[in-house]
Amino acid sequence: MMKKILARGELIAVVLTAFLALILGGWQIMLIAALAGMLIGLSAEHKANYLPRAAGVAAFVGLILIAITHFHNTSLSTLPGMEHIPDQAKTVGTYLIALGVIIGLAVLTAWIHNLADERKRQVYFIGLMVALAVFFPFFEQCPGLSWTNFKFVDMAAGCSEQSNLLWIGPVIVMFIYALQAIGLNIVAGFAGLLDLGYVAFFAIGAYTMGLLRSQQLGSQMGDPDFFRWSFWIVIWIAAATAAFFGLVFGAPTLRLRGDYLAIVTLGFGEIVPIVVKNLYAVRIFEPISLFIGQLFGQKSSDLMQFCLLGCGAKPLDITAGTKGISPIYPPDFFGYTFTVGEYVPWYFLALTLLVVSAFFIYRLRASRIGRAWVSMREDELAANAMGVDLIRTKLTAFVLGAMFSGFAGAFYASYTTLITPDSFDFSISVIILAQVILGGSGNIAGVMLGSSIIMLIDRVLLDKLKMVINGVLQGLVFKGIDNQALAVFWTSLTDATAYKILLFGLILVVMMKVRPQGILPEQTAARRRAA
Amino acid sequence: MLELKNVHTYYGNIHALRGVNLVVNKGEIVTLIGSNGAGKTTTLRTIQGILRPREGEILLEGVALHKLPPHEIVRRGVSQSPEGRLIFPRMSVKENLEMGAYQRNDASGIAEDMERVFKLFPRLKERIGQRGGTLSGGEQQMLSMGRALMARPRVMLLDEPSMGLAPILVDQIFDIIRELHSQGVTILLVEQNARLALSVADRGYVLETGEMALTGPAKELLHNPQVKAAYLGENH
Repeated sequence: MMKKILARGELIAVVLTAFLALILGGWQIMLIAALAGMLIGLSAEHKANYLPRAAGVAAFVGLILIAITHFHNTSLSTLPGMEHIPDQAKTVGTYLIALGVIIGLAVLTAWIHNLADERKRQVYFIGLMVALAVFFPFFEQCPGLSWTNFKFVDMAAGCSEQSNLLWIGPVIVMFIYALQAIGLNIVAGFAGLLDLGYVAFFAIGAYTMGLLRSQQLGSQMGDPDFFRWSFWIVIWIAAATAAFFGLVFGAPTLRLRGDYLAIVTLGFGEIVPIVVKNLYAVRIFEPISLFIGQLFGQKSSDLMQFCLLGCGAKPLDITAGTKGISPIYPPDFFGYTFTVGEYVPWYFLALTLLVVSAFFIYRLRASRIGRAWVSMREDELAANAMGVDLIRTKLTAFVLGAMFSGFAGAFYASYTTLITPDSFDFSISVIILAQVILGGSGNIAGVMLGSSIIMLIDRVLLDKLKMVINGVLQGLVFKGIDNQALAVFWTSLTDATAYKILLFGLILVVMMKVRPQGILPEQTAARRRAA
Repeated sequence: MLELKNVHTYYGNIHALRGVNLVVNKGEIVTLIGSNGAGKTTTLRTIQGILRPREGEILLEGVALHKLPPHEIVRRGVSQSPEGRLIFPRMSVKENLEMGAYQRNDASGIAEDMERVFKLFPRLKERIGQRGGTLSGGEQQMLSMGRALMARPRVMLLDEPSMGLAPILVDQIFDIIRELHSQGVTILLVEQNARLALSVADRGYVLETGEMALTGPAKELLHNPQVKAAYLGENH
């Protein structure tokens, strides 16, 4: 019955909206409205008066959203453990704006989605996404600007304790991961090379930034501020360094096929953090005197050797080992200095980096080298017979992929101001690969979508889910039961964040079964161009 | 134009080609026939540099191809429609064709050749935006041949164009091979279907377990009793 009235996409929008509103509650109402609106628009099929229909469905979903949000604000947020969720969104004004957002976006997206001209549709859709991304920090209410109650208010004072509740922080991290994902998409999606150690280049980019923009090396050289080169130059150096290591790692290994390559890259992903972990006491002697001396039968302890590096009283501490490098200077921009916790400038920097990179990679795919990558993935023998130089083409994919990861790493280092070897764990390689596969290997938009889904689950949804379940248990269930052990047991059993890896695994298994090509599968260039 | 002199190729320790000698002159169709495992495909892969001869020479107008990597060989004008067609299934028909011209930089020439391919295979033009993998077997064969033509080859290597196709499609494909011949394209044709191959070719070679057993004008081979018995299925 329900299925007859609502299309599948619309049904998903209803369920998703209800779920998100229930978990996230009040102050994210605008974001949920925007998301639901777009989903409804995308599921609007081309029929007579599809626009009014989309508006109607959006209004219906909007009312559900408001009802649940109101319930959340008035009931759920009073439960223990959840009182601190800000509840500025209780006013009728906010509800009306949310209703406007959901209907407006639904109609706009439906219109774009049903444009006959494929090219136009794409451009408009990208325009819409960019516009939403630009406006996003203003939907965000803590600690940026808010238009609750029709006025901009600075919520910073009220939100400082709950910085983990902010959307903008996770979204910036999401951009960093998306940048890596579209970079890995060159290697794994276009060229079909399974790289399980992609995090290596992320680490190399981050440490390049860390070394060239902190006191780590300078303080040992007597001039703490020696390495405070401009961020805008160092980010390129970091990308170039990562690309260089891509070349170094790739040149000997890209002759390997499939599984063997995966294992070798897995090794690189492990080696880089370990090397970084151990470069805290470096002293290098030139080896020539030792070699010649030993030729003449002298003991190495008797020989005088010239010291090349780390010759002071203490050996050179390059990476500070497990302690990590900190603090890394934030970037300057025409006299403005980025600061920790002031998210909006970081947000726009990350957004710019992501959009420019995505455009660049899109152009690469449409170019001669892009075709060569894909042809190699499709059929190596045939590509070779067409005159594709396999090693060189694989190497360009590897190097360019490394470069984008280097960019992401450099930005990440500046953003977090602290990098340790532990932040470049194997799991990052896996999560990024999962994003590529989930979104649609080979499709840039799809990969970014996959990235946002996984990162939002990882950084926002599970935390909130844990909080809500905990609140319900504490406030409603445990009230009557006076058994501390049981409460602890249930609390830890229902800790949603603990199921994170299980959930990602499930997502991948289900995707492989149901839709192996990803949420947004790759399209052929000609179909994209056809109009 | 293309000349193989005493070419020996190995797969590991398996001696696949045992001294192949072969000449293709400009504008000719030369066919290479033989049974399964005789080394026909190996010969083509060796010419293209995908396999390396351990001994012998491969010359294209005097240039030693056997010392060059595959992409250099393609650049020098040797292109192939490989066995089993090997089109790129998730690339569009257009992109497949563009891949054929991978080693070329002359945009106007490529556009010209694209038109030429579409004239030869109007079906491909209808399917231009479709993925290669969604084409039928015959269309895939056309795509594979069109892709090889996009290199504007001096010698085109055709490996088993009739493989797995219905008889009516085989006839169509061979009509196109004749058409290419009349346009002056030099072709080295490898076929299992010896009768058909010899009917379009100028000259033929018979390959048996890596060695040239017979050679001569195609018409003579068609009437050669040995060939008749072994490859044409005629008893007399």
